[in-house]
Amino acid sequence: MKRRLAIALDLGTSGFRAQALDLASSEVISTVITTRHPLPGANVIDHLHFALELGVESARDLMLQAINQLLQRLQVSLGDVVRLAVCGNPTQLSLLQGMEIRDLAYAGSRKLHTLGVTAPERTASVYSAAALPGLALSSNCDILIPPAIHDQVGADALALIIQSGIRDCSETSIAIDYGTNAEMALFHQGHFYTGSASAGPALEGQHISCGSLAMPGTITDLKMEGPYHRLQVLDEEMLPATGALIDLRLAGELVESSDREAISITGTGVIAALDQALSDGIITPPNIHTIDGQLHFGHKIYLNETDLGEAGKAIGAIRAGYVTLALEAGIVPSEIQTAYLAGASGTYVDARKSGRLGLIPPAVHRVMQVGNTSLAMARELALTPSRLDEMSDLARALRHNHTLFAKSKSFAKLFLLELSRWTEGMPTTTYREMLQRFNLPDLPPMDSIAEIVQTVQRDIDVTGKHGLKTLHSIGKTVELQLQGCHSCLKCIQTCPTQAITIDTTSQPATISMAHALCNGVACRRCEPVCEPKVFHLNAFFNPARVAVSEEA
Amino acid sequence: MKKPPHNSPIFTRYDLNVEDRHHQGARKVSSDLLLQRVADSLVTGDEDETCMAVSQALNAHKPLEIINESLIPGMQEVGRLWDLGNYFLPQVILSSDAMIAGITLCEEEMGHSMERKAKVVTHTAEGDIHDIGMQIVNALLRAGGFDVISLGADVPIEEVVDACRIHRPVMLTGTALMTTTMTAFPRIAMRLKESGLDIPFVCGGGALSEEFVTSFELGIWGSDAAQAASMAEDALSGLDWRQLRAKWNG
Amino acid sequence: MKLTDSMAYSNPQEMMFGFAQKPVTTRRGLVIGGGSVIAEIVPHPRPGSEKTLHTLLREFERANGDALERCVDIGTPNLVLENEHVFQMTDDAHWGREIAALSIRQLDEFAEQYGLKAAYRATIADLRKPDMVNIRDSERTSKVLEAFDACAEYADILSIESIGGKEIFDHCIIRNDITGMLFAQGVLGSRDMAWLWPQIVEIADKHGSIAGGDTDCSQANTAMFMAGGFTGKALSHSLAALSRAMAVGNSLVAYECGASGPGKDCAYENPIIKAITGLPMSMEGKSCACAHSSLCGNVMAAVCDLWSNEAVEYHRMFGGSTSAVFSEILSYDVASMNTAIQLGYQREYQACMVASDRYRSLQGFILSPDNAWAIGKAVVDNNQSYYARTLAAALTCGELMLADPQLYFTSYEKESLAGYMTELEKLPQEEEDFIDLCLHKYAQVKGFLPQAYGL
Repeated sequence: MKRRLAIALDLGTSGFRAQALDLASSEVISTVITTRHPLPGANVIDHLHFALELGVESARDLMLQAINQLLQRLQVSLGDVVRLAVCGNPTQLSLLQGMEIRDLAYAGSRKLHTLGVTAPERTASVYSAAALPGLALSSNCDILIPPAIHDQVGADALALIIQSGIRDCSETSIAIDYGTNAEMALFHQGHFYTGSASAGPALEGQHISCGSLAMPGTITDLKMEGPYHRLQVLDEEMLPATGALIDLRLAGELVESSDREAISITGTGVIAALDQALSDGIITPPNIHTIDGQLHFGHKIYLNETDLGEAGKAIGAIRAGYVTLALEAGIVPSEIQTAYLAGASGTYVDARKSGRLGLIPPAVHRVMQVGNTSLAMARELALTPSRLDEMSDLARALRHNHTLFAKSKSFAKLFLLELSRWTEGMPTTTYREMLQRFNLPDLPPMDSIAEIVQTVQRDIDVTGKHGLKTLHSIGKTVELQLQGCHSCLKCIQTCPTQAITIDTTSQPATISMAHALCNGVACRRCEPVCEPKVFHLNAFFNPARVAVSEEA
Repeated sequence: MKKPPHNSPIFTRYDLNVEDRHHQGARKVSSDLLLQRVADSLVTGDEDETCMAVSQALNAHKPLEIINESLIPGMQEVGRLWDLGNYFLPQVILSSDAMIAGITLCEEEMGHSMERKAKVVTHTAEGDIHDIGMQIVNALLRAGGFDVISLGADVPIEEVVDACRIHRPVMLTGTALMTTTMTAFPRIAMRLKESGLDIPFVCGGGALSEEFVTSFELGIWGSDAAQAASMAEDALSGLDWRQLRAKWNG
Repeated sequence: MKLTDSMAYSNPQEMMFGFAQKPVTTRRGLVIGGGSVIAEIVPHPRPGSEKTLHTLLREFERANGDALERCVDIGTPNLVLENEHVFQMTDDAHWGREIAALSIRQLDEFAEQYGLKAAYRATIADLRKPDMVNIRDSERTSKVLEAFDACAEYADILSIESIGGKEIFDHCIIRNDITGMLFAQGVLGSRDMAWLWPQIVEIADKHGSIAGGDTDCSQANTAMFMAGGFTGKALSHSLAALSRAMAVGNSLVAYECGASGPGKDCAYENPIIKAITGLPMSMEGKSCACAHSSLCGNVMAAVCDLWSNEAVEYHRMFGGSTSAVFSEILSYDVASMNTAIQLGYQREYQACMVASDRYRSLQGFILSPDNAWAIGKAVVDNNQSYYARTLAAALTCGELMLADPQLYFTSYEKESLAGYMTELEKLPQEEEDFIDLCLHKYAQVKGFLPQAYGL
């Protein structure tokens, strides 16, 4: 008998994850993840900006191509797939469906009115693959797209609520996904209050000098060992393993090396380092008091004061977010008892450390670390399509209690205080005085968390019999020969993310651009520095005009 | 062994000077009790208390006197404490709000607006509603004595250009968090040029890079809201956008 | 070995620049500490010049020659020329020997041609990195001793800046850990000196060279450098001052092992060492700004016998090469001191130099002759062990600072000093208990090998 398969797909802002499922046994067969998003940039606004400039179709093509790369590595016969369930934020889902995105790209209603844009209803949809062309799936395969609550808060937030188990919690509780757009849902007396804080990618490890998303080789935590710190590094299975012994204060040599070499630091590693350095007095924001103003993690991995500022702003946005939600619910943050942490950062983070930094409401006594809820949701949808109705019902119920943080005066004041705390070094005493002055509830230091429950060992708990594969190179690399280019290399030197390379053996030289590495069309530093003015970034994204070479 | 007298001019203990300054509170600004009370409540950032103190002071002093001899010097003290690192941005903003409330009371009494240094138009880009940056800029410009015409968030290009045409500000500011909205700025700059309005246009916020802002005429990149008042002072003293850019960017 | 139990000077007023109780005469007849101050110029080769022996010889020939020439040009009567070894000169003793031989030839030429009386000091590089090798037993240890032997043939004076204890010191100073610094400077450094210096003295005696002395540059001067000036925030000046006092326990061992002076300058502990030993000492202050800044530019000259620039890299300046320029600066510095002696104004001149810096900073204060003497007294009065005398130096240093109402502290410096004093007061009485405590506490410090210190 032919196997009937389904695929669960999580389209995250910072990367995609897919799992192949056996419908007969409901078991996971294989898992593939990417280390980045195929579109240029690091946040949804960058992705939207790209789609505005190059067209939704171009963005969609790049995403489809990456998704197909992912599907092909699942090691199953794609012809046997009868269902694909997708989860992700509204931007990703809209781009996949080729929908209107301008209501997401512009938050201001006046601008939308001028453009004549009406926000589409992002309801749950089931397509046949034929209706959503471009996927490497047979045409009669069903594609399930869940609904959104509001603008930036979509199926991923619904997944957070459904998959975290927060609905079964009898206490006032909060679920937070420490992502680039940190979704959060406060549950109080049977009602949900949701919001999404633009935390930026720092807590996922991006936009940090030596940072990256969680992947094999990234530092996820450090533990005191005598006068030094023991690194915890993710192994090939994405499980935390013991790494080298380091001296945070000194650059250079490792105190004791390890087979498990660290290649970068991820968000939870940043959290652990900040917590340690703050309690040791090595950091008083905005300064790092080491000889070179950096915290070190052995060879060439460090955090500098700019990174501290980035992380601080991310922490600040999340903190301002949950306090604002509490106010919306008519309670004070100290009434929140349980916290559910989701996403890779929420899984690998040491909850006590993140609590001390202010990432968890102060009186929380129980923390549940629940893993990647978005992929878990996609998996359940793939196995049980009827859960789409449950999501739609929940989305309707939540719509009324969604807070747009950008329009909240409380959020603005709280964020201002956080900004001052991290970039001006406002002391805690002044901070709490100012809370009073602003008529905001107090934020006392974190109580000790009595109970930490890790419901999963890693952010993707079950990876299947084929295990987890990491797809490092996704997206296109486009090569162009630009007439007039005289190889001054300015574009390459200026690029902050090393997305551009050059081969000078041809005449004129061949310039390559790796889409997924590009910092986004808003960055565009490469264009104005071009001496002969022949470098046009968009040309590298417009496949119609160029010869495309695809990287394996 | 002979010792030189205390405080002889052999060396200066700058470390002690710096520390003294860090422990300083606000200095007295007036010997008049009523005026000093206005300044004190402004320095603490208490808007209600400032208004009460101003109302009381109005019984004995002319409104302009209250403005010039307590509200403005009080705000200058706040700025000084901020520069020293003793005060933080949220406190400066509270004091700025208190000052504006106090000035409004005085203006009501005078029956007309007080003369301010110059006008500055501020706005958040069309399509963007993230205006925390602009709010900070507004407060700091007001604290610096400028007449701030704030157009708010999500402001259409035409409206910005019209406001510049009507108010003829010494400086225009624009903030944007979403990169999707920043494209409004070069278009505003172009429209201003077309209208013959060579107004320095300071653009800042999370979305913007120096490279982007300096790629269009009139544009000056503001890396930090704290720069706004000094930039406006420069514009007021006659620096044009090119000179401002040369001074603050690059 | 019995540790020093008495002071050479019975009171600090007896101490004066240019005069040591036990002057030293070099084999070329230069008397140091015998009634006048002598400039000690230290040129340093440019990076890259150490590529080959040939290029390095050429570099030193120029740098040394420029110094000697300038002295003749402006009438400097005496000079000490010091070459601090770059790695290669010690790593390959042949290099060190060749450069010493060259320097001596140059000195002798100027002596013959003009009558310039000069001496050559070879300062061997301590290649024994304690975090990398066993400092008592490694190839690098042999190389250091070989280099001493090779240079002793020519050099008038031999010195080293030994680095025993530095692995612990570096670990502790960035953690503001005074217990560990005391262990590094007082115990480990002293034990290493006691092992190393008898060997150096033996080599010097064999060749008729002078075993000059040692200095705790790698530790105390690191502390001063990190503390910086008034705007420096990297390290508390209180801690830097305490580290300076603790350097004495360590450097004193060299003289107890037979070094005769002139002591080496870089760690600024020498006013205290001179008070204890009466031996001639090299010091540095304002005219070593080429090497690093300090807050004690004048006071350091108050009781010096040699006046050094620490080290200046060889480059061109408007006024000639750095080597020539700094020879001239040092020459005039010492000319005024010697003039003061000749006119009988030395007390007044010394008072001026001390008063210039006494209350400028904590470090200038404790290095003023009276305080230096008092710290020295605490050292000799507590001669039960290396540990006891180093602890006494630190405690006395702290007490002196806290006792003078004219010495002002920032509140940060005051609080940090109070913290260090409390920590020091809580330490055990006996050296063996302290060693046990530290062996346990620092067992995990990278590269720390107790047996390299005989522990």
